[in-house]
Amino acid sequence: MAGPRGRALLALCAALAAGGWLLGVGAQEPGESAAGMRRRRRLQQEDGISFEYHRYPELREALVSVWLQCTAISRIYTVGRSFEGRELLVIELSDNPGVHEPGEPEFKYVGNMHGNEAVGRELLIFLAQYLCNEYQKGNETIVNLIHSTRIHIMPSLNPDGFEKAASQPGELKDWFVGRSNAQGIDLNRNFPDLDRIVYVNEKEGGPNNHLLKNLKKIVDQNAKLAPETKGVIHWIMDIPFVLSANLHGGDLVANYPYDETRSGSAHEYSSCPDDAIFQSLARSYSSYNPAMSDPSRPPCRKNDDDSSFVDGTTNGAAWYSVPGGMQDFNYLSSNCFEITVELSCEKFPPEETLKSYWEDNKNSLINYLEQIHRGVKGFVRDLQGNPIANATISVEGIDHDVISAKDGDYWRLLVPGNYKLTASAPGYLAITKKVAVPYSPAVGVDFELESFSERKEEEKEELMEWWKMMSETLNF
Amino acid sequence: MGFRAAWALVLLLPGGLIHGFPKPRGVEDKSLHNRELSAERPLNEQIAEAEADKIKNISPPDDPDGLHQLDGTPLTADDIVHKIATRIYEENDRGVFDKIVSKLLNLGLITESQAHTLEDEVAEALQKLISKEANNYEEELNKSTSRTENQAGKTPGKVTLKATTQNGFTNRESDETISNTLTLANGLERRTKTYSEENFEELQYFPHFYALLKSIDSEKEAKEKETLITIMKTLIDFVKMMVKYGTISPEEGVAYLENLDETIALQTKNKLEKNATDNKSKLFPAPSEKSHEETDSTKEETAKMEKGHGTLKDSTKDSSSGPGGKTDTPKEKTEAYLEAIRKNIEWLKKHDKKGNKEDYDLSKMRDFINQQADAYVAKGILDKEEASAIKRIYSTL
Repeated sequence: MAGPRGRALLALCAALAAGGWLLGVGAQEPGESAAGMRRRRRLQQEDGISFEYHRYPELREALVSVWLQCTAISRIYTVGRSFEGRELLVIELSDNPGVHEPGEPEFKYVGNMHGNEAVGRELLIFLAQYLCNEYQKGNETIVNLIHSTRIHIMPSLNPDGFEKAASQPGELKDWFVGRSNAQGIDLNRNFPDLDRIVYVNEKEGGPNNHLLKNLKKIVDQNAKLAPETKGVIHWIMDIPFVLSANLHGGDLVANYPYDETRSGSAHEYSSCPDDAIFQSLARSYSSYNPAMSDPSRPPCRKNDDDSSFVDGTTNGAAWYSVPGGMQDFNYLSSNCFEITVELSCEKFPPEETLKSYWEDNKNSLINYLEQIHRGVKGFVRDLQGNPIANATISVEGIDHDVISAKDGDYWRLLVPGNYKLTASAPGYLAITKKVAVPYSPAVGVDFELESFSERKEEEKEELMEWWKMMSETLNF
Repeated sequence: MGFRAAWALVLLLPGGLIHGFPKPRGVEDKSLHNRELSAERPLNEQIAEAEADKIKNISPPDDPDGLHQLDGTPLTADDIVHKIATRIYEENDRGVFDKIVSKLLNLGLITESQAHTLEDEVAEALQKLISKEANNYEEELNKSTSRTENQAGKTPGKVTLKATTQNGFTNRESDETISNTLTLANGLERRTKTYSEENFEELQYFPHFYALLKSIDSEKEAKEKETLITIMKTLIDFVKMMVKYGTISPEEGVAYLENLDETIALQTKNKLEKNATDNKSKLFPAPSEKSHEETDSTKEETAKMEKGHGTLKDSTKDSSSGPGGKTDTPKEKTEAYLEAIRKNIEWLKKHDKKGNKEDYDLSKMRDFINQQADAYVAKGILDKEEASAIKRIYSTL
């Protein structure tokens, strides 16, 4: 009842009294220190969003503040630890945090996997606070988003790298220092190279999705994988993500799969089966970012080759080949469609520019989030209404399948058009349905699959009926 | 604005701070802590509760806890006194009073001085009652007095209970006055909160603070004086509230207030010393300048105090400040957290669709927060101090 809590409160009181007395009555403080100025400026920023760089402690505090303000719709968790022991923090926003609601699609933003590419990290902190603020203000778009989506935000996948980059003296940060993790591993080259396997499969026959199922054990035992990489892979395996974006810096473009060239050359447009929807997704980001989608924007550096850029978007391999990247890993190991967004010509721009980066990207970040509610979605169940997990949903004409999650729920992003969707599962008879897909929202299509044994029973019954009828007629 | 700044500035919650809080020597004397600290409400209802325990069976069916009139309105102090007097009258036994009061004294809910006051008031009420009855029902009254004339107490026109109080009470007068002024000597009556300058009674408990107040020139610094008084009274009320709700024990409340007074003494002393050295270097400053200096130096004091606590805290964290970012002081962090919690509670209150908003939300919220805070500490998302601070904030709501 009493004890430490009471004492702390008393200390609070005492401090109040002492402070209140010492400050005097309502006087402004003349000649306050620089630290005081910064604090005041910080507190006066928009709605709790402070446009400054956050080191690891501040990052954590910022997320905790969002959680404290929006406990009903948020939850903080960690995906694992960096090499130096920092938590890979994620803040989740949804109307039922911590819970996958059947049918509710899962979204993720991942920033700062290159530690010296800092803008994404900050934008995601701002975004978390923004979503919380807007939700409480009753902003309809945000409220609907949070009610209908489970949004996961990981501001930094490489907190160790960021600390290194941020600790550099002076305003100009190096192009390389802090890029890789503490072990010197470039995380965006560290993922299992599933592109290579797919390209072989394309020639010789074989799947081009959910390749991870066979590789899970290998991943766990692979000593070459950084702890950050492993953490993300487990994260992808645990949660049925549908849509994702991976935030980088050093250029200004929205990049989509495949990242690695088919032939092995340095630049070559290498489209994936879902090229159409990916272009649409990439454009949904870039078109809301004025700088990114500015057709007359000069390249970031004089000699840069941005010939592959169209409307602020680019196919990854057409720009330059990237093996072992996280973007393609998502697409080929899981249901998740991920693009890579380059947010700034400068990797670690001056703090004063952060506010304008937020203004430029705010709408893109929200609009991209909304893309998750496109295409087709629904449930795959058996005839008794039980969910069928790991059922395959294939689309005629698109050589890439998604599979249903634990509750039988699935989501298939598609550009507008007419499609034939087929749901199938081992031991069940496949069913095909025709669907007309608008731009948005997603069309609901459920499947009730009949198992083989059920069908056998049916056929048996039909046979018996027929036999009965025959015998009666023929007087057996 | 001053209040806001005060709140914002000095919410120093981490446990380490408690050790930083100046504790004057010689406060370990336990006997001083026997002064009870009572909150304002309880006296009325405490007595009624004590009485209700005793008279549960006899009270009317529609007023089981004895705390309401028949028409449902809550009892006033006068009602309570009257009730006790009536009870004594009806049962013809002044022992009623003894039992109730000794119970209250043992529980530390009233002080001896309050007991004396209560006694006086009950005696008065009883006297009135007897006179009234005597006027209306003279025969019945005579009968009862003849029955009880051997018991000390109920003689018409001269009712004193003091004769039989020797066992229960000891009459300590002079020493207790100071200690008891903090308590509600003014009242069995409820007091509305008017913090007028003249109302120094409770503040006499803080000798140093009181001296400080007296030393302030009422004319020139009336506002400052008023603010100081208001602050202290707010604090006293707050402490009383905490005692009332059981957040702290009465002893802790007393100890705290004593510490506070000593702290004020310390600060005053420091301030005066600083002023003295400042004044030495200036030639006969005008009075208005002097007060301005005083204000300035108190701000320096605040800044010093902040910095002192800030550096205490920072050394325990391994944060390096570089051009890539700045580290927060614990105060800034706590401010941010407090602000966030405030927004959360505001929003919850607005959006709770069930009835009985406040109680429902806060108690459930508290449990949830406690759980989550612990879980977060286990996962390395919060550190222990932050978690305790957050839990503490919620527990005070």
